[in-house]
Amino acid sequence: MSTPFLSVRDLTVDFHTEDGVVHAVDGLSFDVEKGTTLGIVGESGSGKSVTNLTVLGLHNPETSTISGEIRLDGEELIGASRSTMEKLRGNKVAMIFQDPLTSLSPYHTIGKQISEVYRKHTGASRAEARARAIEMLTRVGIPQPKTRVDDYPHQFSGGMRQRAMIAMALVCDPDLLIADEPTTALDVTVQAQILDLLKDLQDQMGTSIILITHDLGVVANTAHEVLVMYAGRAVERGSVKEVLREPRHPYTWGLLASMPRLSAPVDVQLRPVRGTPPSLINVPTGCPFHPRCDFMEVAGPELCRSERPELSPHRGHGDACYLTLAQKREIHK
Amino acid sequence: MASRKDDTPREATAKGPSGPRSGPSHLGKQAMLPFITRRTLGAAVTLLIIAAVTFFLFFAVPADPARLACGKVCPPDLLEQARHNLGLDQPLFAQFVAWLAGIFVGRDYESLGHCPAPCLGYSFVNREPVFETILDRLPVTVSLTIGAAVVFLVFGLATGIVAALRQGKPLDKIASVASLIGASVQIYFIGTLALYFLVYQNQILQRPQYLPFTENPIAWASGLALPWVVLAIIFTANYTRMTRSTMVEQLSEDYVRTARAKGMSGRSVVMRFALRGTLTPIITIFGVDLGTLIGGAIITETTFGLQGLGRLSIKAVWDSDLPLLMGTVLVAAGAIVFFNIVVDVLYAFIDPRVRLS
Amino acid sequence: MKVRTRSAMAVLAIGALALTSACAQGNQGAPAAPSGSAGASAPAVEPYKAPTITVGTAEDSKGPAIEPEGVVKGGTVTMIDRDDFSHLDPGQLYVNTETNFSLLIARTLTGYKRTDKSEYKLVGDLATDTGTPSDGGKTWTFTLKDGVKWEDGTPITSEDVKWSMERTFASFITQGPTYIQQWLTDVDHKKAYQGPYDGKRLDSIETPDDKTIVYKFKTPHADANYAFAMGGYGIVPKAKDTKEKYDKAPVSSGPYIIKNHVVDKSIDLERNPNWDAATDPIRGAYPDKWRLEFGQEPLQITDRLMADTGPDQTAFTFYATVPPERLQQVLGDPALAPRLMKSPSPYGNYYYFNLDRMKDQKVRQAINYAWPSKQIQQTMGGPAAAALPTTILNENTTVGYQPYDLFGKTTKPEGDIEKAKALLAESGNPTPTIVYAYNQTPVQEQITVVIKSALEKAGIKVVAKPLDRKTYYDSIGLVKNEFDLYWGGWGADWPSGSTVMPVIFGPIADGAPNYSHLKDEALTKKMNEIIAMTDIDAQNAAWMALDKEIQETITPAVIAENRIANTLHGSKIGGAEIDPQSWVVQPNRIFVKQ
Repeated sequence: MSTPFLSVRDLTVDFHTEDGVVHAVDGLSFDVEKGTTLGIVGESGSGKSVTNLTVLGLHNPETSTISGEIRLDGEELIGASRSTMEKLRGNKVAMIFQDPLTSLSPYHTIGKQISEVYRKHTGASRAEARARAIEMLTRVGIPQPKTRVDDYPHQFSGGMRQRAMIAMALVCDPDLLIADEPTTALDVTVQAQILDLLKDLQDQMGTSIILITHDLGVVANTAHEVLVMYAGRAVERGSVKEVLREPRHPYTWGLLASMPRLSAPVDVQLRPVRGTPPSLINVPTGCPFHPRCDFMEVAGPELCRSERPELSPHRGHGDACYLTLAQKREIHK
Repeated sequence: MASRKDDTPREATAKGPSGPRSGPSHLGKQAMLPFITRRTLGAAVTLLIIAAVTFFLFFAVPADPARLACGKVCPPDLLEQARHNLGLDQPLFAQFVAWLAGIFVGRDYESLGHCPAPCLGYSFVNREPVFETILDRLPVTVSLTIGAAVVFLVFGLATGIVAALRQGKPLDKIASVASLIGASVQIYFIGTLALYFLVYQNQILQRPQYLPFTENPIAWASGLALPWVVLAIIFTANYTRMTRSTMVEQLSEDYVRTARAKGMSGRSVVMRFALRGTLTPIITIFGVDLGTLIGGAIITETTFGLQGLGRLSIKAVWDSDLPLLMGTVLVAAGAIVFFNIVVDVLYAFIDPRVRLS
Repeated sequence: MKVRTRSAMAVLAIGALALTSACAQGNQGAPAAPSGSAGASAPAVEPYKAPTITVGTAEDSKGPAIEPEGVVKGGTVTMIDRDDFSHLDPGQLYVNTETNFSLLIARTLTGYKRTDKSEYKLVGDLATDTGTPSDGGKTWTFTLKDGVKWEDGTPITSEDVKWSMERTFASFITQGPTYIQQWLTDVDHKKAYQGPYDGKRLDSIETPDDKTIVYKFKTPHADANYAFAMGGYGIVPKAKDTKEKYDKAPVSSGPYIIKNHVVDKSIDLERNPNWDAATDPIRGAYPDKWRLEFGQEPLQITDRLMADTGPDQTAFTFYATVPPERLQQVLGDPALAPRLMKSPSPYGNYYYFNLDRMKDQKVRQAINYAWPSKQIQQTMGGPAAAALPTTILNENTTVGYQPYDLFGKTTKPEGDIEKAKALLAESGNPTPTIVYAYNQTPVQEQITVVIKSALEKAGIKVVAKPLDRKTYYDSIGLVKNEFDLYWGGWGADWPSGSTVMPVIFGPIADGAPNYSHLKDEALTKKMNEIIAMTDIDAQNAAWMALDKEIQETITPAVIAENRIANTLHGSKIGGAEIDPQSWVVQPNRIFVKQ
């Protein structure tokens, strides 16, 4: 097998706070192939966003400790120089954020915000950059882009802002786009539009996408691969089909059960995962999910409490749980 | 997040003026003109009320300016004469109306002749025209204020930014302590000390004096250097603290993160993105400080022996010099009101959201 | 003729608060030195010698002035003060700083010539001598000197002198002295005559020729020659009188001309080529140029003069006294001693009893005995900062001054509690309660505490009533005030009881300076008799005797502490002295050392 486009191995991110060390990411590994979409799913605080900000090197080196490796197109990013990272960001790797209103500068026009990325990375002239910004706005479907290029973010609607964000992210034809909950702040109808847009752009430009979401529905429609994260670790990994059809980890089951489905009868009650996400300062020993797990008795409580389950098998559809495959199938019926 | 679910295309309603060169100032002007007009009218009313209150309060205090304008030996006929000469024998309301009218159409005085508009009357004490006296003192106070303001704004912002970027580091802590000390000292204390040691005892700095900028900018600056520094020591603190805390907040804003994610250099992120948001609260206190300082840096001017508006107003109070008092109050209040408007206009230039709403 | 109806409080008292160093009057700026330390560490205070003032002869009236030792002519002298002069028109001058400055640009008929340290003579300034009285002191005749000229070279005539007096009757003149005007016409002098501008002249001043001027008063005034020395009677040229505008641009008859005046900032003087030193026994006019700077606080002025560097070496101040925060430092530095000038205030300062309420003389005397003079002196900064007078008339401004001490202030300055108790026991009420009103300033607060504790030791309960400083005089000036004891001051206009006694024990009215409300037919009669005396020496002796008699038989006041001005000058200034009468540094003898 060829080297994946993005390869993350044993990534650990610790933050040093006044309350103690926050183990935000703990031994995470995953790959993203060229032109594919990886969906990363998990609750808030599961380490999804932290992981991706790490890829861009956006953590304050003074308050965080990062180890492991992140290889982008064969280039090691951990420990890379500031200028290397600055050249990379917005250029080879771009990112779009959850709330386009707060993520766009209120003080600068949309056009300015798009064109400055382009100028920074390509050295284009002001006029070229402006033309490029208009072109990008056209591509993301902003009507009257020649006019709207001079608008400020607050003059845009929510969906348009996210389109503008995407235009900004894609202006330099990045190889990898990290979309951090790009639709969470948007209307349902708009969500679909934005996701379709991302798909179209991926088809046109061959961009790899990491789509961070807590919504398995979004993943189902958009992603090729899925990574389920819990307490800074991967608990399940596989293709969309595998994970959604045959989920193996009790946490994934929980996520699916808490998700409304159009196919299910209306009166079926949604079952949220019980309990609360664990503290990342005092992560539970063993399987971090064990305090919330309904199947610990089946798997063996001693083991669950004391030893950390590894993701297995290494390739393909894997999960980190002590239940046997048979038990999993039985329970998930 | 629910509140942001607004995807109704607004093309139809929010069509700004188009064209590649339609910069912020152009956008601003449209909304700005009626805004400034409205604020100016409001300011005029405010000033009128302040003037009226000052005027009538003056007479509520039993000190009699006519008695001061009458010699040590002051028989009733002389007192009456003095009262008449000062126009104090007129009904109060008529006096106020005459004063007010003088500003717009000028006034005629029995003994001193015509006082052209804008006429603020003649001083009770030395019979100098108040308007000209104020015009004469204004450059001193303005120079004092502007010079000091440049120093404390630049230093305040710089130290605040550095402290914000070096949170918890020794530099940040030094800045915090220094600003605490700066905020707690008084001008007449460090001013007098500075004068004593730097000027009188060691001649390190020049004795503070005002020389017109237009004549010799270098002499102007060196004459005011000491008061600027002393004022700056006291004022910088506030700006450091404010800049630091706002900057820290701004640096954690989403759009600042976006800027970094776009590959903007650290410096450009701070200067172009984070600073922009930091300026808003800074401008607010800056406007207030400027207004207050122009209105009269009384203690500063007294400490350094500068003849500005502050000392003029003190003199007016001591001498029960009503026209001078009214004039200085009007200018002081005017300065505060003016800078309030300027701050509001500046908000709009800094933040397009204010501009267009 | 009496000086009557002086309804308003003195400029010396009110105006002084803001305008002049006479604000020392109210102890506004009096030092708050730690008590006890002052007297001990300071160098021994040499006994103060009050000035001797005599009347000089025609020979004494000839110029030039007596030169100070080591005098150098030429150079530029700098004067630094806080406030500019509100008036330059002689007719508007009363405040001591203004009349002092006017010595440089305006002359009077008579003036004071310094003949030696603490010795002064009243001499003719424009006049050849101090005038000749006739008709029992009702008529005074002066002859002008030859060679006295205005700045434009035209001679000063008797018509100018007459005009100068007449114009002070005009409505725009409200601030100057009014003694002579009243003597010439009536108490309501402005009603009697409205000035010369409408063509009407005053018959009571005659000018038989260009050199002779005759004043005809309605009543005798043996001390009129002193009155003519007041700066407010400086002369104005008839030909160049611009009425109220004259205040801005006066014409000089003195040794200097105002070359440039930036209001509240500076005045530049240069020599008047038409002033002839040979005609002037008073003014030395040694420097070529004067530079007056305004706008500096006493603290800065003191610091500059202490530092004594560069141009400040040739600087002095008319009236900026060493402020409390520098006083001990200045007094304790022997290097500054040659540059330190001292003089006790020429004003009378009193704690007046309100006789309408404090009717028992025994109680008033008891308070006098119990008075903690020494403690108050310490609060004010020690013996170097305050003197303890014992008489109503001030030694600096009283010709023929005779000291007396009725209440043991000299022997027991800390107060005689036993004696006070004994007197209280004899009185109708051995434990009286009195209301003491005071001007609410930090120093006065401290002094009030001192007074309260001393009087309470004697068994007198003191209710202290603070008054707002801006309206202090209005409050105590009310006849029907609710206070028993309060501070007040009065300054003599020339060195005679005539300008003090008939005023502070004169008519009772709201705002009038008779704060003790002393009304005694016999006393009034006696004062009128003294004023009418034609022998000036007998008159002065009679005032002095009356001074003691009033304190003995009526005791209307406690004589208050008297502030001592301490003022520095630069090291290259010679001839500088505080004038004992005006209490400001007089310019006549100042020169610039090379």
